[in-house]
Amino acid sequence: MLRELSALLRREWLRYIRTPVWIISSLLVPILYLILFGQGFNYPGGPAQYLGAPDYISYFAAGMVGFVVLTMSLFSGANIIFDKGLGIVKRQVATPAPRSTLFLSPLIFRSLMSMLPAFLVLGLAVLLAHIPGFVGLTITGSVGVLGGFEIVIAVLVLALMFNALFLAFGFALESPQSYFGIVNLLNLPILFTSNALYPPGVGPEWLHQIAAYNPVSLCVNVLRENLFGSGSYYAYSPEIYFFGLLAWAVAFIVLAFVLGRRALRTP
Amino acid sequence: MTDAIVTEGLVKVFNGSIRAVDGISIKVSEGEAFGLLGPNGAGKTTMVSILTTLLRPTGGRAVVDGLDVTEHPEEVRRRIGLAFQVSTADGELTGRENLEVAAGLQGIPAPEARRRIRELLEQMELAPAADRLVKGYSGGMRRRLELAVGVVHAPRILFLDEPTLGLDPQGRAGFWDYIRHLRKDTGVTLFLTTHYLEEADQLCERLAIVDYGKIVAAGTPNELKQRTGGDTVVVRPSHGQDLTSILSTVPGAQGVHVIAGAYRVKCDRGEAMVPPIVTACDRAGVELASVEIRKPSLDEVFLELTGRAYREEEGENSGWAAERIGQMRGGRR
Repeated sequence: MLRELSALLRREWLRYIRTPVWIISSLLVPILYLILFGQGFNYPGGPAQYLGAPDYISYFAAGMVGFVVLTMSLFSGANIIFDKGLGIVKRQVATPAPRSTLFLSPLIFRSLMSMLPAFLVLGLAVLLAHIPGFVGLTITGSVGVLGGFEIVIAVLVLALMFNALFLAFGFALESPQSYFGIVNLLNLPILFTSNALYPPGVGPEWLHQIAAYNPVSLCVNVLRENLFGSGSYYAYSPEIYFFGLLAWAVAFIVLAFVLGRRALRTP
Repeated sequence: MTDAIVTEGLVKVFNGSIRAVDGISIKVSEGEAFGLLGPNGAGKTTMVSILTTLLRPTGGRAVVDGLDVTEHPEEVRRRIGLAFQVSTADGELTGRENLEVAAGLQGIPAPEARRRIRELLEQMELAPAADRLVKGYSGGMRRRLELAVGVVHAPRILFLDEPTLGLDPQGRAGFWDYIRHLRKDTGVTLFLTTHYLEEADQLCERLAIVDYGKIVAAGTPNELKQRTGGDTVVVRPSHGQDLTSILSTVPGAQGVHVIAGAYRVKCDRGEAMVPPIVTACDRAGVELASVEIRKPSLDEVFLELTGRAYREEEGENSGWAAERIGQMRGGRR
């Protein structure tokens, strides 16, 4: 299984590095969001408004991590649709390679690639705080090794669950039109029922009730509690949010494997 | 001799009513080159898909290299190679990288894979282009790479689904040489589908002609040609008159059939039959539009068996993108 997995991971890598436009745009778009949207919408307010973050840009920068992971993972399934159209998936299915490998290799690669711009944005946001004329992320908590580990794992889990889901749609659907239709339908509700971009107090109460259970919110809560040491603003500790996120991940990944198995099933 | 492929009453029904494969029973011996010949929609690709474990049959049984395809699909996949009718190579990878990925998916250890890939690149005359991206390859190079990918793990049985689809006549003849060499070197069993009559004639030791999911005739190319019983003189009257009684009485005529308005007179030697046919028609006051002599060929067999002229059309493609690429390359549908 390892030989098959490494062959497919190598293919993913070769295709990635041979598409410089995609690499540049995937890294540049979140940076532009941070610079153009983040700088422009730096509302006044303090920790009380922003769940412990000292200002909106700090709140927003942490939220951007969830936003970027979600957006990047939307493209995973699109690659599968194109691979199917070109007969590449059919070729893979005709080999004795385990079906799980055909699903796992894009899942692992795409998840790691979704994390890359997310952490780049986080680093840049910290940097911007030190550049005159810009506002950036101010870390007010003491993150520590455990906190850093929690952040990385939470983002990894979020990347795995969304990539698994959208890959499964890619394997299950036949046309790019159907895929982008589904993606378009899911993208905005997932993002705007989370607390990634807007702070509490903005919008109706029912939306905040939904946001509390949204997987993007759960991931971002792990980040914010660790970055801003703002336990008193949250109902639960980062670990509880992390386990909530993990529950979502298990559900999504199981659903993805069921869909993927059906799509890749041969006699 | 052991059987490499056996099917018994194989059936595949799509959408509850379309019988793409309708009770096909065949036997292919080890080391044999067997061809399924038929027009588009005859069920050839569906047959290959079942035998290569990509489709589950609705009924009947298929055994490949002694293994039932529905009971041991993974083991069957280890023993077979497959070249699809449309290139499945990744255009963003080089020819060598495509082969490396294919070898990895077959679980071949890296040192063995490198040696095998080097040999195949030489054999398919792709070595000078091995490190170029496949998107820059010509149609013929892509077909050769597809063949190399199909045999990277030295399979016991090789399935070629419309292997020369879209190639010009020169490219097609060249590709046949690669297949002949491959068979000579490895002794691999070949199962080929084609709608090119000449291809079936050139490459296959035994053929089955399929139409609407059923086998209409089977045998060696020569046996099938002999079924037409010598030459055929095809006579077309200018004004659609009935020539049956006139042509039946011409000495040497062994039978007269009408297909699509053309009268087909069976005889031993067409050259000897033309003068008496023309004379008989002239005496009866019938003006002729054309008179042709047809020698025994698979085209004639197909026409005799199905009552329809054989048209060499482009085959089915495997996906929406491949379809568009086919159209961009000027392929007819």
